[in-house]
Amino acid sequence: MKITFYRDRCIGCNYCVEAWPERWQMSKRDGKCVLIGGKKKGKLYHAEAGEFEREYNERAAQACPVDAIRINK
Amino acid sequence: MKSNPKVGEFHSKEHFLKTEIMAPAGDWASLKAAIQGGADSVYFGIEQLNMRARASNNFTLADLPKIADVAREESIRTYLTLNTVLYDHDLPLMKKIIDAVKEHGITAIIAADQAAISYAARNGVEVHISTQANISNIEMVAFYSHFADVMVLARELSLGQMKKIVEGVKERDIRGPSGNLVQIEVFAHGALCMAVSGKCYLSLHTYNSSANRGACKQNCRHAYRVTNEEGEELLIDNEYIMSPKDLCTIDFLDQLLDTGIEVLKLEGRGRSPEYVKTVTRCYKEAAQAVADGTYTREKVDAWKKELEEVYNRGFWDGYYLGRKLGEWSRIHGSAATKEKRFIGKVLHYYPKAKVAHVRIKAGGFNRSDSLIIIGNKTGVAEPEIDSIWVGDRPADVVAKGEECTIRLDCVVNEGDKVYLWEDRD
Repeated sequence: MKITFYRDRCIGCNYCVEAWPERWQMSKRDGKCVLIGGKKKGKLYHAEAGEFEREYNERAAQACPVDAIRINK
Repeated sequence: MKSNPKVGEFHSKEHFLKTEIMAPAGDWASLKAAIQGGADSVYFGIEQLNMRARASNNFTLADLPKIADVAREESIRTYLTLNTVLYDHDLPLMKKIIDAVKEHGITAIIAADQAAISYAARNGVEVHISTQANISNIEMVAFYSHFADVMVLARELSLGQMKKIVEGVKERDIRGPSGNLVQIEVFAHGALCMAVSGKCYLSLHTYNSSANRGACKQNCRHAYRVTNEEGEELLIDNEYIMSPKDLCTIDFLDQLLDTGIEVLKLEGRGRSPEYVKTVTRCYKEAAQAVADGTYTREKVDAWKKELEEVYNRGFWDGYYLGRKLGEWSRIHGSAATKEKRFIGKVLHYYPKAKVAHVRIKAGGFNRSDSLIIIGNKTGVAEPEIDSIWVGDRPADVVAKGEECTIRLDCVVNEGDKVYLWEDRD
């Protein structure tokens, strides 16, 4: 599965970390979230993750109030 | 460390008015518009720790030096809003922002979370207490006076309650860290919350999007129908059952200032530059008129008409005159009597000739139309058009796709957007 993270939109609410801390972590540098294992391309971050993570990452995406997380179908 | 004028310091002639008019600056154009409107101070947010975290045009840390420079040039004070709920992971950014405020000479921060309040106070950064803290009594003022020199009162108080608090500050000699008496500020104009400010969880419950992290989805602004489980609908005459009208105090500003409050805050960091300019100018003129004894019903009517031209949800006097909640907006969005319609862009401006070279990209315009031109450096220009030329011929009408040169009575800048300023249908 592929995860895309629009980091500019993040307001640091921490919901994704609550949903799946294995993949999402708050940065102490700027208070926004970090997609663990993500690679930056332009303004976006992309990461490949195992299917077993899908449910948790989808929960994170659903919880995100600023629609910053997209999971491929 | 550089420093901007502090509270109570008035540097220029125009600042003889005792009441401070504090205007919102959501972006560069609004900052300039606030100055054009005569603001004594501006408030703005940076990064995500402010109540407009969703806004895509928030200033960033890197903008602080320039904001401070502009403020010094114009002798206005600058307040940085840092008033969301803070979590542990926000603390490094909060400290970084407050350190930058100190370094660049921003006048003060506006805060509600004790972490930000105590860190700023410890580091000698002036603190103003945000409406998010809901200051509603004199003991709260006394409590926060250990940290803050200026406090905005909760928007749910009446004039009588405000007056009592202001008198209490004097009677009890409540002073802030600067050694001066604590200054009391109130909101004079703009959006009101359906809940007590800072205590609304509607957006959080429905969209997981917390108003108290600056991400309010404004559910209260939509139309609702009330239906029971049997499908029977309760007939109500207005479907906007949770959307309060906007606060407007211009027609009782004399009474408001009579309470002794010293700072008038204008709401609207999410609103447009022309709103900021108009609202700031009206309240500046009105406060001046109250001070001069020239505040009349005729003037109030004229100001109110101007305020109605820009974004508003209809006006009411909030809770200040002791009314109960019940002044619901009847519309989604704005009841403004005027609107701006984009027609083109300034390609170049020739300052000596005062001529703008404009490309008309949509619609078109006549010489008799009212234009406004908006840009980061320009703010909001409301030009009188002297003459229009298309190619080498004078023209009265310019159509879509054409380029024209317009002689104006004001300065604009390359890249500015040109709008028709017209009556709404």
